[in-house]
Amino acid sequence: MLSAFRSALATPDLRRKILFVLGIVAVYRVGAMLPSPGVSYPNIQKCIEGVDNQSIYQLLNLFSGGALLQLSVFALGIMPYITASIIIQLLRVVIPRFEQLHKEGQSGQAKLTQYTRYLTIGLGVLQATGIVAMADRGQLFGECPDPVIPDSTVFTLAIIVLTMTAGTALIMWFGELITERGIGNGMSLLIFVNIAARIPAEGGNILQNAGGLVFGIVCLFGLLIIVAVVFLEQGQRRIPVQYAKRMVGRRMYGGTSTYLPMKVNQAGVIPIIFASSLLYLPDLITRLAGDTNSWWARFVADHLTSQSDWVHIAFYFAMIIFFTYFYISIQFNPNERADDMKRYGGFIPGIRPGRPTAEYLSFVLSRITLPGSIYLGIIAVLPNFFLDLTGDGQNQNFPFGGAAVLIMVGVGLDTVKQIESQLMQRNYEGFLK
Amino acid sequence: MVLALQIGLIVTSLLLILLVLLHRGRGGGLSSLFGGGMQSSLSGSSVAEKNLDRATLFVGAIWLICVIGLGLLIKVA
Repeated sequence: MLSAFRSALATPDLRRKILFVLGIVAVYRVGAMLPSPGVSYPNIQKCIEGVDNQSIYQLLNLFSGGALLQLSVFALGIMPYITASIIIQLLRVVIPRFEQLHKEGQSGQAKLTQYTRYLTIGLGVLQATGIVAMADRGQLFGECPDPVIPDSTVFTLAIIVLTMTAGTALIMWFGELITERGIGNGMSLLIFVNIAARIPAEGGNILQNAGGLVFGIVCLFGLLIIVAVVFLEQGQRRIPVQYAKRMVGRRMYGGTSTYLPMKVNQAGVIPIIFASSLLYLPDLITRLAGDTNSWWARFVADHLTSQSDWVHIAFYFAMIIFFTYFYISIQFNPNERADDMKRYGGFIPGIRPGRPTAEYLSFVLSRITLPGSIYLGIIAVLPNFFLDLTGDGQNQNFPFGGAAVLIMVGVGLDTVKQIESQLMQRNYEGFLK
Repeated sequence: MVLALQIGLIVTSLLLILLVLLHRGRGGGLSSLFGGGMQSSLSGSSVAEKNLDRATLFVGAIWLICVIGLGLLIKVA
């Protein structure tokens, strides 16, 4: 293991890539600490002290590494890009042109990416405006006596919005730079950094609230969860595929037998992101409506917002299962896959190509998605059971459960695999034996 | 002084957004996000792309100076 690290750093090419990634990450973290112009830094620190736990923007805040509530230059983090790419992907079902572009291959794919980038800027303006407006009206922090933005003229607010949007663009560029010249996928690495940056603070919180023994138990428990997540993330069903031999010109192609991997958790963390952002909606609506005494508003406040309530947990769990199926049905098209296999002369032993193959694939997929979705749901609601342990309201922020672990493990595995494949090109030995 | 910095910030922000959008997107979208795992193609960056990188870095530096300068001025005031 250590020798692998040494050889990774000894290879000049790889060393340059790793240092490049580290440099960008450093710049990114500095930007996440830098307050936007016009925001009063001392006041905002006081406000965060008071209401950090009650905020409805916990997941957003987690993804931005705590930058959101500080109203820093990089407050929006990577979130607009994620939202934009999810929207573009979902629009493929609705807009035929997008589907056509998706099938077109590399050039179409590049065009879709370009659309995603434009949409990211648009969403960045939108979200920045929303957050700045909420902060200005004092809704972001609940009851905080000190004004977050002391000089709140329209001009100052517009400058903050513009700065945050430029920050979003810059983050997008950072992510692309890492993807292009560094190691791993830039966007997901930046999220990884954000979440990892929260861990020491949250750990300190637990240590302070509950004492050393509980802290040790939580650490052990977190380790167990990470092991379980790694195990399930790697789990896949391998469907054997046999390719027939065929002649193209004078060369012989095919004749190989491979397999079609079907991961247990094919949807990744996206169902969790969907479900939690939808769960914030009722709370947001009642807040904007301003009417806190109707039965509806009270129901939302009592059952949906409070994260240890059974209604909330059950709702969350059900939505995650639904979105897992929904997302996989968009992402993986059995008919398309069966057609592809038929075109290249492949077949699953014992099953005829064409429609029977598609039926078999969708059968296997729906069977394997069930445990996958339940696993996702359990991982996501797990931190909700430990609320008493970690002090009031440290739930989604709790770094050893929920979306955080899934993202960290997924990105970590991916990055290590990429370093590994780079090492393999040189000396045939890596981290993973 | 504050107004000059603010105007500078507006101009550089707009320029920065424009320059970043001019880059060729290499993200690959959501498919490669969260462990989709797709190796990026090994095409080197063109001269135009390199110049664009430099321009973006330059504008970004000015943008950063404006942000820090405004922050310091507000703190002093």
